Amino acid sequence: MRRQVVVLVTATTLLVLLAFLVPLAVLLRTLASDRAVAEATREAQSVAALVAVTEPDQLAAAVTVVNQRGPRRVGVVLASGRQVGADDEGTPAALQLAQEGRSFSASVPHGRQVYVPVDTASGRAVVWSFVPDALLRKGVTAGTTVAVGLGLGLLVITVALADRLARGTVRPVRGMATTALALGQGELSARAPVEGPKEVREVAHALNLLAERIRELLDAEREVVADLSHRLRTPLTALRLDVDAVRDHELRQRLDEDLDEVQRHVDGLIHEARRQVRTGVQVTCDAGEVVRDRTAFWGVLFEDQERPLAVDVAPGPHPVRLAAEDLAAAVDALLQNALVHTPGGTAVAVRVLQGADGRSLLTVADEGPGIPPGATARGLSTAGSTGLGLDIVRRTAEASGGRLLLAERPGGGAEVTLELGPPR
Amino acid sequence: MAQLLLVEDDPAIRSALVRALSDRGHGVRTATTGMEGLQEAVQHRPDLVVLDLGLPDVDGTTVLTMLRAVSDVPVIVATAQDDERVTVKALDAGADDYVVKPFAPEHLDARIRAVLRRSGAGEDGSGVLAVGGLVVDVRAHEASLDGRRLDLARKEFELLAHLAARPGQVVSKRELMAAVWGLPYGGGDKTVDVHLSWLRRKLGESASDPRYLHAVRGVGVKLQAPA
Repeated sequence: MRRQVVVLVTATTLLVLLAFLVPLAVLLRTLASDRAVAEATREAQSVAALVAVTEPDQLAAAVTVVNQRGPRRVGVVLASGRQVGADDEGTPAALQLAQEGRSFSASVPHGRQVYVPVDTASGRAVVWSFVPDALLRKGVTAGTTVAVGLGLGLLVITVALADRLARGTVRPVRGMATTALALGQGELSARAPVEGPKEVREVAHALNLLAERIRELLDAEREVVADLSHRLRTPLTALRLDVDAVRDHELRQRLDEDLDEVQRHVDGLIHEARRQVRTGVQVTCDAGEVVRDRTAFWGVLFEDQERPLAVDVAPGPHPVRLAAEDLAAAVDALLQNALVHTPGGTAVAVRVLQGADGRSLLTVADEGPGIPPGATARGLSTAGSTGLGLDIVRRTAEASGGRLLLAERPGGGAEVTLELGPPR
Repeated sequence: MAQLLLVEDDPAIRSALVRALSDRGHGVRTATTGMEGLQEAVQHRPDLVVLDLGLPDVDGTTVLTMLRAVSDVPVIVATAQDDERVTVKALDAGADDYVVKPFAPEHLDARIRAVLRRSGAGEDGSGVLAVGGLVVDVRAHEASLDGRRLDLARKEFELLAHLAARPGQVVSKRELMAAVWGLPYGGGDKTVDVHLSWLRRKLGESASDPRYLHAVRGVGVKLQAPA
């Protein structure tokens, strides 16, 4: 924008300058020419005064003096036809015209010539004065140079002022852009500097109000989640403590297991609500790093159960739109699913690949019995698992702007692929 | 038997906790507000305070700060927030441990006993558990095997301490999940298993060739000195 303002002002100023300078140059030239012609006319007239009263020889001496003194060349053709002084540079027609009694100036090669007829006792003589081109343009170059110099000075000042004005506008706008970007990336304390022209200040103020509002909304949301957590967990605690008082061992165990189930769902619910509060701000992590970290952690259990665990992370960073802890929870759930749903010794392979449109593909494949029919609807819901694990995985993939894909491998076994969206 | 002070505003939880903790051999006094709790703590000098963070009059963390100004009684805070910021704030304010609601009574009881052991008010007062060449100093949060110090993560240490307090007993994964993580146990959850695997490695043994950590299939795990 700064450059555009400068270009615009430069173009406008240049046009204005041209509109003034061109006529000015023409005027200067005309003035210089008129002045030179007027001086030549005066000189010719003063020589003409001599012609009437002077002998030809004396006149010749006087004209020679005049010619030696000045830059112009004066000549006279007497009534007798004798020519004195400088040569006639003009055409015979012009001389003829002057001899008919007309006083004028005419263009001749390399300059201009003024003709002044003078009537003497012996007839009509003509005095001419030749003005060379240099004299006609005397002072024009200097005058034009000064005018152009002043014009250029004016242009420089205008451009400098325009640049300053543009900078004054652009800087706060750029500050606002930086602030908006920071807000988008979750830095909710970022505020735009309120400076520059009035309109820009107003926008900055509005942006700051908006940022404040986002923070308030997130805070309110956090409170709702905290309250939800309190409201759900307090009665659950009472229930747990009451179950403890049940004397029938078998009944108590069953109630405990039911409560475990309820608590897991409540925990999942609260976690999900909290994730929405968290992802209200921009989050990102490296899927490759998370997978390497989590597979290293779970690797020992795979080793203990003699299950080969292959990890293959394609080179390069794999940025995804998720908090590292959320993706870690999803990877944990997938690895635990593989542990629970396949017999001991089953090989498991984890891969991270670059997908289309900046997406990352995280695949966990095993050589187990595959996915039971109907499990795709809401996640695996078979022995030992509530299905909640895969549900969390699906939500995690969707939260990143991606999806969960379940497939049977050609040679048997399940293949779970997480398509993870890139950061915004 | 320890004298406990329970500061809890919810009547259902309060009465259930009094019963559950009394059943486990503790003497329990109660307070329903923060100010009442402070008064009780100063007047009756309990061995340990179980403090709910969501009190009607004063914020639990404030009560904790005020209590710390006048007494060094061990405090376990109970909170419905499993948000780390909340628990860290409570621990910073002087809490010795925390439990997240909903918790099982045996879980709270285990925490109470652990804190009492650490504070020296427990059964033997030393807070040091020994199983064969394995020594677990609960108070210093340190463990060593045959004189060599073990480098354990927090959860690994808590797991080991819980097992070391019950040498030779089979402890269920459900109990470990509740005592160490404060979470319900689901069959699909392998958190306990993976931590046991790490613990095994750090103890220099393997699942196929166990020395201290013995898995009892379908029941749980036990810590036992090698024969």
